[in-house]
Amino acid sequence: MILEALAEFLTLGELGGVIVNGLAKSALYVMIASGLTLIFGLMGVLNFAHGSLTMVGAYLGGLLMVVTVTGGTAPLTRLGLFFVAIVVAFALLTALGGAIETTIIRPLYDRPPIYQILLTFGLTLVIEELTRIVLGVYGLQPLSDWQAALATKPQFLREPVALGPVSAGWMSLFQILLGAITVVGIWAFLTRTRYGLYIRAGSEDAEMAAALGIDVRQVFTVVFALGIGLAGAAGTLLMWDPTWGASVPLAAETLLPAFIVVIVGGLGTFRGTVVAALVVGMADAVTTWWFQNVIEFTGLPELVLFLVLVVTLIVRPQGLFGVEEVGGH
Amino acid sequence: MSSPVSAETQMLLPTVETMVGVLYFGLFAISFDFISGYTGYLSFGHAVFYGTGAYTVILIANGKVPLLGPGTPFMLSLLVGGLIAIVLAILVGLVSFRLSGVYFAMITLGFAQVFYVFVRGWDYVATNPRDGPAVGPSHAEGFQIGVPGIDQLSLSIGVLTGDEVALLGATLSGTEVSYYMVGLVVLACYFAMQRVIHSPFGRVLLAIRENEERAIAVGYNTYLYKLGAFAISGFFAAVAGGLFAGFKRSASPENSFYFLVTGDALLASIIGGFGTLAGSLYGHLFDETVREFLSKAGQGGGLLPYLRALLGQGTLDTTLVGGTTIGGLIDLLLNGHASLYVGLVFVLFVLYVPDGLLGTLRARLGGTFAEALPAKLWGDSE
Repeated sequence: MILEALAEFLTLGELGGVIVNGLAKSALYVMIASGLTLIFGLMGVLNFAHGSLTMVGAYLGGLLMVVTVTGGTAPLTRLGLFFVAIVVAFALLTALGGAIETTIIRPLYDRPPIYQILLTFGLTLVIEELTRIVLGVYGLQPLSDWQAALATKPQFLREPVALGPVSAGWMSLFQILLGAITVVGIWAFLTRTRYGLYIRAGSEDAEMAAALGIDVRQVFTVVFALGIGLAGAAGTLLMWDPTWGASVPLAAETLLPAFIVVIVGGLGTFRGTVVAALVVGMADAVTTWWFQNVIEFTGLPELVLFLVLVVTLIVRPQGLFGVEEVGGH
Repeated sequence: MSSPVSAETQMLLPTVETMVGVLYFGLFAISFDFISGYTGYLSFGHAVFYGTGAYTVILIANGKVPLLGPGTPFMLSLLVGGLIAIVLAILVGLVSFRLSGVYFAMITLGFAQVFYVFVRGWDYVATNPRDGPAVGPSHAEGFQIGVPGIDQLSLSIGVLTGDEVALLGATLSGTEVSYYMVGLVVLACYFAMQRVIHSPFGRVLLAIRENEERAIAVGYNTYLYKLGAFAISGFFAAVAGGLFAGFKRSASPENSFYFLVTGDALLASIIGGFGTLAGSLYGHLFDETVREFLSKAGQGGGLLPYLRALLGQGTLDTTLVGGTTIGGLIDLLLNGHASLYVGLVFVLFVLYVPDGLLGTLRARLGGTFAEALPAKLWGDSE
């Protein structure tokens, strides 16, 4: 039976579908995790509030869409509004991130790194509960997906598309496109701009960078803000994805895969994050296929993701592209 | 119970049932502090041991564990759960202690989540593994704490299944009996852990936290010490989980194996004082009291029912700006949102009281509470 399933799995149609799915998942993972990895790479802060801020981004983006889109809005206008929503969510959360860094993270740099983990962990509790209160005021159901936000998705994104023998969804292609834009954008920012240079210098050696006249404090604030902004943008993208959607539990659901991706890739290396997102996304897609067709264990994909994390840490503790010394944190 | 301040007392104090929870979860928080507070290794997947203890107790009671029938004494199943947790801790620790810092936290989290997902999908443990197992009809009576086999020296615990005891003219309800019996086990476990911490073994753990390289240079095999401490901590975490399952008679993946359960222990340890052992219990007591005080869910009263009774309907219906009534506003801010205030308290503690409740007190008094307070009060010798 396993052999038959394997034969079916290896046919062009099935395998191609799995690969497209895997790329789409990788794209989502890279968008959720890249903010986390930027923040860790420069400041050594493992931001536990990242998932909650992604969730806030999902609601913000959803709110903008629900307010602006009506039943008669054309699909292309909806797409345009969607990009506006991403930009607005990014801007608002960047501002929020800057405020968080300057007010409560900054006093903790002199303390052991554990305190930053603790602080951001406390922050998630506050953010989630505040979200619940706000949702309560507007009578939205916080636990299940926010259907009104999902409903603003243009019709054609729900439909399948045939690429030769492979059948994929427009939504997957859309996500792959956005993921590629994100990766190229961050890469260009890090390697082609002066500010990216400061960031790379700061993550190599913050003291030396400061000695060379770079305002490291300011760089910290900007990176933390940008990282949070990316979380918000990623949240907006998740709002349309049928397996995620805008809901309060989204916070924990995105936090753990994001951790897996940044750690498998090597904490703080952007290249590692991209590769790890590909690995994790593919592992997710492959096991999802096996779960749907052969093996009956419900938690299989999730189980495999955590196994990838554990095995990576056993075999290569610093992650795929990590540097050994970071383990000192 | 009627006195001039009975309404106020009822508003402030948690119920007995909550207090039983404070005891067993406090024990879990103490066991978390035992490893994380003393060695500095953040065991972010500690819930796996808590869950192991809880599931072991229920599975034994349901006759699902080979060789151990449903009639196995509760004390023995606690021990079995603890031993399984020790084995698990050694297996997890063997690979995890090669890492440190964030990486250690993440690998323990990874292991725990593997177990969480596995248990959530394993239909052997319960007919609906997502909801978790409950004690079935094969074990209708309450779990007994005491000397196994001797009925006179054992008392049952549980919300509905606990024994009632008539003592000096007063009757203790099942929940109150549970409070004392669970308390006995927790106290014994606390003393055992405290004994270990104050032994030379415990000193080495502190040395690891302060400067592991130096501890190695002095000649200690820190790897073995960390592994040993992890196993001990896992054992007591499992006992705590067993007590939880014994009292509640059910468990679910979400309230035993999930990583946010570890998060609650972390909260308790930080509020109480990281690396103070007993502080974790007070930290959890503080946490639960705040929750109970601010959320409607607590039957013990809390601020919301008290305010409603105090202010009266007329005041509650008074309209503030924009059509919101005072009652509506109170409802909005207090009804079931205790986590918000707990989170705020937690953030404030991390920022301004890094030593926690007990740690700060000890620093003020210049020694542990028991030693320093009498000296302060009566000016002994020094």
